[in-house]
Amino acid sequence: MIFASSILQWAGNIYEKYFGFVDFIIRRSERVVEYTANHFSLVITVMFFSLILWISVGLLISRYEKLANTAFGIGNILFVIPSISLFGIFITIPMLGLGRTSAALALILYAMMPMVRNVYRGIKSVEWPIIEAGRGMGMSPKQILFQIQIPIAWPIIFAGIRVTTVMITGIATVATFIGERNLGRFIHHGIARESADMIIAGAVLVSVIAILLDYILGKVEYKITSPGLRKEQEQS
Amino acid sequence: MDFEMERFISALIDRSPPHALVHLQLVLIPVIVAFLIAFPVAVLLTRRRFMRYTDRVMTFFNMGQTIPPLAIIAVFFPFLGLGMEPALFALTIYALLPIARNTLAGLKGVPQEVKEAARGIGMSEWEMLMRVEIPLSMPVVMAGIKISVVLTSGTAALGALVGAGGMGAVIFAGIDFFRAELIIAGTLVIGAIAIVLDRILSVIDNKLTPPHMKM
Amino acid sequence: MIVLDKVDKVFPGSNIPAVKQVSFQVDEGNICVFVGPSGCGKTTILRMINRLIEPTSGDIYIKGKKVSDKGLNPDHLRREIGYVIQQIGLLPHRTVEQNVALVPYLLKWPEENIKPRVRELLDMVGLDPDEVAQKYPFQLSGGMMQRVGVARALAADPPIMLMDEPFGAVDPIVRGRLQDEFLRLQKEMKKTICFVTHDINEAIKMGDHIVIMNKGELVQHGTPMEILSEPANSFVKDLIGTEREIKLLELTKSGEIVNKKAEIPETVRQKDCFISVIDPVQRALETMMKKDSDLVGVRDKDQEIGTISWNDIKKLINKLSGDA
Repeated sequence: MIFASSILQWAGNIYEKYFGFVDFIIRRSERVVEYTANHFSLVITVMFFSLILWISVGLLISRYEKLANTAFGIGNILFVIPSISLFGIFITIPMLGLGRTSAALALILYAMMPMVRNVYRGIKSVEWPIIEAGRGMGMSPKQILFQIQIPIAWPIIFAGIRVTTVMITGIATVATFIGERNLGRFIHHGIARESADMIIAGAVLVSVIAILLDYILGKVEYKITSPGLRKEQEQS
Repeated sequence: MDFEMERFISALIDRSPPHALVHLQLVLIPVIVAFLIAFPVAVLLTRRRFMRYTDRVMTFFNMGQTIPPLAIIAVFFPFLGLGMEPALFALTIYALLPIARNTLAGLKGVPQEVKEAARGIGMSEWEMLMRVEIPLSMPVVMAGIKISVVLTSGTAALGALVGAGGMGAVIFAGIDFFRAELIIAGTLVIGAIAIVLDRILSVIDNKLTPPHMKM
Repeated sequence: MIVLDKVDKVFPGSNIPAVKQVSFQVDEGNICVFVGPSGCGKTTILRMINRLIEPTSGDIYIKGKKVSDKGLNPDHLRREIGYVIQQIGLLPHRTVEQNVALVPYLLKWPEENIKPRVRELLDMVGLDPDEVAQKYPFQLSGGMMQRVGVARALAADPPIMLMDEPFGAVDPIVRGRLQDEFLRLQKEMKKTICFVTHDINEAIKMGDHIVIMNKGELVQHGTPMEILSEPANSFVKDLIGTEREIKLLELTKSGEIVNKKAEIPETVRQKDCFISVIDPVQRALETMMKKDSDLVGVRDKDQEIGTISWNDIKKLINKLSGDA
């Protein structure tokens, strides 16, 4: 009896020490929902513009080879800038200031490298004879782009979308320091208040979301890949 | 953006140097520790006995990379308290994947016929690893270390949040006071650290790479 | 059917012309083979015919119409010309069926006509439609892919086919089989075909007409027999190689030299030493050696029509190789 109750007590202590964040999440569920919604609306906005912008840029530089090096140069520099700096620089621009526009713009710039690189790599992965055969069959440049190049590149492009989405979800947490009310805020305030439960709640929530997102998009990636391409990828 | 040159130069010359030194530690220690973990693990994973675990271990490393950097840094804070330790732990985890991935790719990229030839002249598995496989895969491994260095120098800016200091402290001060000069100065120093380390690694790479593989 | 008139091609960034002043004509229903070492300009000529590249000067006519006419959309031109390349270029993300149906789709054929046509084509090139139609290219062997490539080029029944080393990527045994089957098909289809190869033996086997190219220039053209019996210069001689006589024997049908008056001796019958009139003379030689006889009987279907002797073959060789 005493033994059993001491085990219970021990388990209780462990729970309190390491799983206090579960209580926190339950207690503050309203906040959790609000922050999660904000987090996702930012990610969705960023991905929307990134898809339009960076897929176009990727297609452009795969056609005009000379632009490719410039684009990758810019992308590489952007990628080396710490996320917090990029956010910071945007808020000091008078028209933007603290707020969503600054956060979104910084994240869109961040998305450039993985998106553009994968679109470019995908389009370049289409072997010459396939395009030669398409032209020889009488396909127009537009048909070659939409029926050959993009479909063959699509798995690689989508892999880029997946990596970017997960990355943006992660970096978006840092936007809490420029006023975003998202899941990063639990971590931010948790550190300020030295509340372990709050920090761990934030970290766990955002990690679980990132890992889940990666997993789900991975499944989607497999589904949308033509079986004819799937095998090739597995072999390479 | 109002930008005062004087303030910018003062941030660069007066304010940054001590923080830069800390930042350098926040990059070097995690990358070295990550290398000491990831390299042997990756080498083991290419040995016949452990090959079947490769996928599982890489999934684990990949997951580490999926977790947002802020979350990793923050999560060590309650356990290790304020200071450099939580940042060092988190950054080490973050630096693991690129090194592990490239070491695996490098070792797998050693042509089968070269290994056959090495076995043919009577090298033991250990000799083959030390004299053939590792030297031949060195350029790819070094590329992985470089990626790690760049990633870690950027992420280390978040270390300031848990009291580790480093250039993040300058940048966060800039954000708190809306001073672009501080943010830009901090960013430039981080960039400089990344570039200098990258150059040094290139020199080492050049020394380690067998002459015929140099491009 | 296809006419080239003083065609030149200089690629940008190069001062050596890839094709120099080439003129010739391909007759309707013929296979014209371009042969020569790599870089001789044979592929360049092929790609100019369907305007994948444009000639620097000179004109190309198909059925009397200039292909470079401004009114002619090159994409539309290409849909009327079958095109087969060595690397095949099957679309990896589409099934065999979708690959073969490519040009009919571009030409906007009604859906219900496409499926039966694809089955017909696969059958024609010796593939089982039920087995391969839903497969993806990576699931096929090299030989099967080549067959699909040919089926795809034939899909819209184009009167002209351009084939660039179409059987180059498979092993010699499969290549021989594909060549035989294609020749059989061609007997029914009567397409006008331009065929590029670097292999003189393939050229002799496939060609009604051979065009020999070197360094962008047309060196010699004519029937395989003309090329073999009267090589224009040492380049052509080297290209033909050492076994010229044997190649000539391969080209001559036994029927052409059969001695119809001769009686068939009993020994030939005992050894079953017979060939058919449509066999090449080379077969007569082989049969003689195998059966240890200096005479073979010749049959036309079941009828015995005469004999070929060792002397007859020697006379043929002397006549063909003559002064060369």
